[in-house]
Formats: sequence, C-alpha cells, structure tokens
Amino acid sequence: MSSTATQGPHSLAFRVMRLCKPSFHVDPPLRIDPFDLLSGEDFSDDPSSASLLRRHLSSTDAVDSDLSYRNRFLINHPTDPIGLSGLLLLPQSFGAIYLGETFCSYISVNNSSTSQVRDVTIKAEIQTERQRILLLDTSKSPVESIRTGGRYDFIVEHDVKELGAHTLVCSALYNDADGERKYLPQFFKFVVANPLSVRTKETTFLEACIENHTKSNLFMDQVDFEPAKQWTALRLHDQQHPPTSDLAGLIPNPPVIIRSGGGIHNYLYKLVPSSDVSGQPKFQGSSILGKFQITWRTNLGEPGRLQTQQILGAPVSRKEINMRVVEVPTAIHLNRPFSASLNLTNQTDRQLGPFEVSLTQDESQMEKPVAINGLQKLMLPRLEAFGSNDFQLNLIASKLGVQKIAGITALDTREKKTYELVPEMEIFVESD
Amino acid sequence: MFSDSSPPMDPDSPQPESNPSSADLTPATVQPIEPTAFESSASPDFTPLSDQRFNSLDELTHDLGSLHELSTRGSWEAILDKISQARALFLLTKPHEHLTYLTYQVMALTKLRRSDEASHELNSLHDFDGTHYRYESYPEIYPNRKGSMVPFSLRWLYALIPTKLGNRQEGLDRLYTLLDFVRDRIREKESQKLDCSVELWKKRERFVMSCLLGFHLGHKEFGVSLDLIKELIKRDPLDPVLVSKLGYVQMQFGDIEGAKATFNRVEEMLNEGKNDETQFKNLVGRNKALVHVVAKDYAAAVREYEECIERDNSDVIAVNNKALCLMYLRDLSDAIKVMESALERVPTAALNESLVVNLCSMYELAYVNHTDAKRTLNTWITRVAPDDFDSSCTRI
Repeated sequence: MSSTATQGPHSLAFRVMRLCKPSFHVDPPLRIDPFDLLSGEDFSDDPSSASLLRRHLSSTDAVDSDLSYRNRFLINHPTDPIGLSGLLLLPQSFGAIYLGETFCSYISVNNSSTSQVRDVTIKAEIQTERQRILLLDTSKSPVESIRTGGRYDFIVEHDVKELGAHTLVCSALYNDADGERKYLPQFFKFVVANPLSVRTKETTFLEACIENHTKSNLFMDQVDFEPAKQWTALRLHDQQHPPTSDLAGLIPNPPVIIRSGGGIHNYLYKLVPSSDVSGQPKFQGSSILGKFQITWRTNLGEPGRLQTQQILGAPVSRKEINMRVVEVPTAIHLNRPFSASLNLTNQTDRQLGPFEVSLTQDESQMEKPVAINGLQKLMLPRLEAFGSNDFQLNLIASKLGVQKIAGITALDTREKKTYELVPEMEIFVESD
Repeated sequence: MFSDSSPPMDPDSPQPESNPSSADLTPATVQPIEPTAFESSASPDFTPLSDQRFNSLDELTHDLGSLHELSTRGSWEAILDKISQARALFLLTKPHEHLTYLTYQVMALTKLRRSDEASHELNSLHDFDGTHYRYESYPEIYPNRKGSMVPFSLRWLYALIPTKLGNRQEGLDRLYTLLDFVRDRIREKESQKLDCSVELWKKRERFVMSCLLGFHLGHKEFGVSLDLIKELIKRDPLDPVLVSKLGYVQMQFGDIEGAKATFNRVEEMLNEGKNDETQFKNLVGRNKALVHVVAKDYAAAVREYEECIERDNSDVIAVNNKALCLMYLRDLSDAIKVMESALERVPTAALNESLVVNLCSMYELAYVNHTDAKRTLNTWITRVAPDDFDSSCTRI
C-alpha cells in the first residue's frame, strides 16, 4: 500500500501489513534419491550390486555430521519432491482486494525516536467515496506511553461492501518529548474491484454464467439461486460420478473451481411457476425471477460473498398474432414456384385485422433466396377472437441448398402493427 | 576420453590413493582409448563391476564417497572444484564415472542457480538412449553387465532445466516424456522379472509424478493436481503424509470441508495403526492446527503447534507456523522470538529460505529501521548456510 505522512519530524510512524490468510509454500525442491545419482539407472538390474550400494550408503548415513544439510538434497519421504511441506508463508504483497471479501490488516505504531511519547490516542478508519467507517479508536483509553524503540500493535478487520478507491487512515495524537501535542495521519490507499460478473439468459430455464475477474482461482463454495415467490427453481447439473471405490470417498465430486482472470462456469436452473400463482399468462410486464447468493473461497478458505440484484425475466406474454408455416412440398426446385401452407392465428380476445401479408424489403435490396411469386401482397380478412386462418402463399426459391423461408410479415392494417413469421422455416432447394 | 591413468590393480588390495601430482600423469603419457587398447593394459583379474563387488563408494566411482559427503553438506562449490580437478588430471577412467561426474556437475550448477551453464553442460551429452551409455558397449570394462549407465538424476535434470531457464512448457513436456519413459521401464523390468529394479523404477515413477504435482500446484492448476495426487494415493493409500498433502491441496483452493474429511482419515490411520511415532503424531497435530488457522482460531493452533514442538523441537514446520499464528494474534514480538530461537537452537533444520522470508517480513513490520535486523541475520546466514542457500530471500 502506498502511504503518505505529513510534514515535520514525527516520533511515531505507522507500519501496516495486510493480513489475508497465509499461504502454503509450494516449491519443488532439488532433492534426489542417492540411487539415482550414484549409479546408472539399470545398475540395480543386478540385485547384488543394488544391495551393496545400499549398504555403502547407509554406512555413510551413520556418520552424523554437525553441519548436515542432507534434507536440502536427499529425499527423506517419497512426497518430498512435491515441495508442499505444510509450511505457511506470510502474504508477500498487498495483492488485489474484491467486493465481498474481508480486509484485515496488522497495524503497528513504532516509536523510532530517542525519547518516550505519552498519551497516545490512535484511530484507524476506512474512507470511501460514500462514507467513513471507524475501525479503531483508543481515545476513551489512550495508550499511556510508548518507550523509545517500542511499539503498539493492533489488528483491524472490515467487510468490503463498496467498490472503488478506499483509504485506510491511521492517525495518532500524542505528546512528544517536549510536551508538544502532535498529530500524525498516515494514508494507505487501495482499490476494491468487482470479482464476478453474472450474466443470465432464460426462457423457462435460467442460465447464469459466472465469470471470475480476480487474479485467484475461486472455489465455488455455494451458488444458490433464491427464486421470487412466484417461482420454484430446480438446479440442473450433470450426473455425479460415483466415487472410486479404492479411494473410499476421498474427493467424491470434482470441485467447482473457476479459473482466475476470466474463467467461467455456468449454472442452469429450471423455473416452474409456483402452484399458488393464477394460471392466465400476462401479455406484458417483466417478472422478477429471483437473485443469486454466491459464496466463494480462495487460499486457505479465505471467504468472499456476494448477492446479485433481482434478475428479471423476459416478458412471459404470448404474442397477439401467431403466423407460421404449416406445410411445404417435399421437393422444392430452383426457380420453380411452389405453394406453402401458412396459418394465421389470433391469440387475443378481440377481433384483429384485416391483414396484409408480404415479404419485407431490407435496405440492401438484395434478392431474397425465397421470395413471393406473383402478387407481392396477399390480403387476409379480419380474424375473430382466438380465430385462425389457413392460407396459401406462392413462393419461389432462387438459390440452391438449405434456405430459409423468412422475412414474411403480416400487417394489421387497422392497428398498424406488424407480426413476423416465426419460426423461420428451413427448406432444401434442389436443382431442376 | 577414456584414458587409463591408474596403475593395474589387484582386487584384494585396497585402492591406492590417487596422487594428482604424480609424475606419471603428464598429458604426454596419456592416449585416447580404444576398447582393444584398454583390454591389453588392464589386469585380466580386475574390473570392479564385472565381479559385482565394490567395497566402498570410492571403488564404484573415483572419490564418490567424498562427493556424496560434500553434497549432504551443501558444499557445491567444492564439488565443482573436485570435478574440474578430476577432469584436468584425467582421474576418471571409466565411462560411467564421467557420467556420474557430469551429473554432479549439472546438479551443482543448478543448485547454485547457474542454470545456463548447467544447460550448456547437458548439451555435450550424446543421446541418452544410444549405445554410448550402455554397459554392453564396453564388455571389457563391464563384462556381464547390461543396461543403461545413465544416472536417472541426469535424465531428470535434463527435463527440469528448461523450467529453470524460464521455459516452463518445454520443461513440462520433458517431464511428461520422462514419466512415459519410466512407465515403459517398469513394464520392461516386470516382464524380465527383475523385482529389485521394478521397485526402483516404481519409486522413480512416484518421484516424477510428485515433481509434476509440485509444478502444477505452484501454478495453481488444481484440476490436474487433483488427478495426479489421486494417482499417487492409489499407489500408496495408507501413506498418512501423502494423504495429508491432499488435505493441503484442498485447503489451497478453498475446499475446507473436503480438507477436514481428509485430515480425519489421517487421524484414523494414527488411531488404528500401531505406529505412534512422534513424526506421525506431529503430522496429525499440524493438520489439526491448520484447521484452526482456517477457522481463525489462532490460539488453538498455537496450542497444537506447541505440543508438536515439545515432542520434537526440530519440527520446523510447527515452529514457523506457530510464529505466524502468534503474529495473527497480534503478538509480533513473540513471533519474532520463536523464529530467532529456532535458528539458534537447530540451525541446520531451521535454516530454510521460507522461514527467513517470513522472519524478514516480520522485521519489516516491527522495526522502522529493519535493515539493521536483516543485516545481522544475513551475516549469520553467510557463516552457517550451505552454498546453495538463496540469500536474496532476505530482501536486503
């Protein structure tokens, strides 16, 4: 962390160290089995050579040397080459800090002057754009004195709930050797970033893609979707593999770890309307689907947690008019007109229409691969509430291969609303 | 290359001390060797490997006992001197001796972080699997012995060197190739019913797998690390140290419940088995302490570590981790004391780069003028430490 102190000689100085969890030291060592060095690799094909060598080696082992660093060179246990002894390392740098994590810091006030200071009031606060949070304040019971070369230590913790610039402000108010009351503020800046982004896509399924923006791999401890009360959610995931019998349950399921720096993992939920919601679907209006509670862990279980905002579903409404292709001939030939059967259905409870069915012209004026043959507009009469109309369209295909019947629209001439042919229909165009 | 400079010998008499200043050993008297020339000058009774007997390491390879001792003391500079001397004075007579010396040389250079020189030496090698390095290519020197005389460590160093030179991908490729090679040898020796060799090659398989595991873990590649450690556990399901390491891996990526379950398994092994050695008890104690560390119950962790230290005061992992816990308990002064006293009491056990890094971090926090404390430490280290100690860890 960068720090700035005020001008003037101060007897005291703050020293700060971020105290996230320590980490395991991992470093594959340069350690060997003496057999692999002292003789050729096939030396032991002859068992008597092997046992002779072993005997000579153990007799040298028996000589206990004072300054022996054999453990830096010879393997003691077969797992030594992994380089994971269980030794812990202090955090070596401030690192990155993300929303949802806990900021923890060791703070030490040192008296580096040649005389005692008295009556020391220490304060530690976190300052963000929006607020100032007090972490420590000894003004009610100030530290009586700090001798020369002495220290007063404390540890502060703060759950990070805001993004952006943060400043840890450490300040000390004290009487120096001359009895002068001095004020020392020190500032340690850091930035809180967003650890995850959650993108959702849904129909009656909700797919959430969680992307990891941090520099560490994140072990997804819990990803829970809390549906809004009109829904129940069912998590869909692939089959669990049965645990391998010889490991007897060690590591039963592969853990979900999202790779650092852009790794993603997808979660899929099936949403079912809760039974107590009324049956009739609405036309418009979004519905709240629910929100995610996400808990992750990194090195030595360092936790972080976030909640998403409410996730909104796309409108559950049904279309007023549905136009679709019902049937096409089995063989469609290039440049030969063919007849397609279509259906127009009024899904509302009122009369709609009359309709004008045509092919949309796009800006490029390029010839569509499947076009209407003959009259470019077809008029259809009004449709009663929930009524439907089957009609024929004369089409012609100008390109070979797989083509789409698309771009056909029905215009409600009275209400001036356009409805598209959905879904687009694929046909196969053969040569003459 | 294989000039014979030692006088013909009687197998029953002890090998005479090689005398580097002997007048016989002037370059003019030495000739390059062809197999037939060697045969005619050596005594027909004596070729150490042929009757499979050697009464000391030195009889196997020139001055091997001394090289071995120097390596356990970390005196790598002395080893390099010995090697250049032996070569300059043509003291090495047999092909396998040259290979052993080359392996020591590459090892020493790598230990001293002179990896580009090590790489250069490796470039002087012929293809490992060619005839140059097979016993049967020299039947006069090694009658009846068959196979490769390449020390396995040399193959391993060849695979490792690219990682030391910053080319991790090449290094990994070579290590995986080495693993395949080892597995082929296991199958080969099994089919030839060479049980002793099978055991040794299986050890080498675990060695290479462990090495790969360390590399992947260091890069936080947890998926492949879990696969590797599962494979290792399959081969040694009752090894408490190995299973504990699975727990550390789980902790590393954050699966705390998984790690606890794994540590419980290790504790069951202790309770069920007859082995209640201090080592095992301390292992279980340290595992328990880690669970406390994760739960931020540092006081409980300190208690566990103290029990370990009482059982074995050279348990440096317990000492180091206890000091860290004291610091998380706001007791920086005692943390420093614990580290310093271990370095004083059991220097050769305690002196390792990680412990020094931690101690220096503590100095930086505790003292505004921490350079003095670090300098004192550094002075002590230069007196006591082996050649390969990386003193950049003091960050002076």
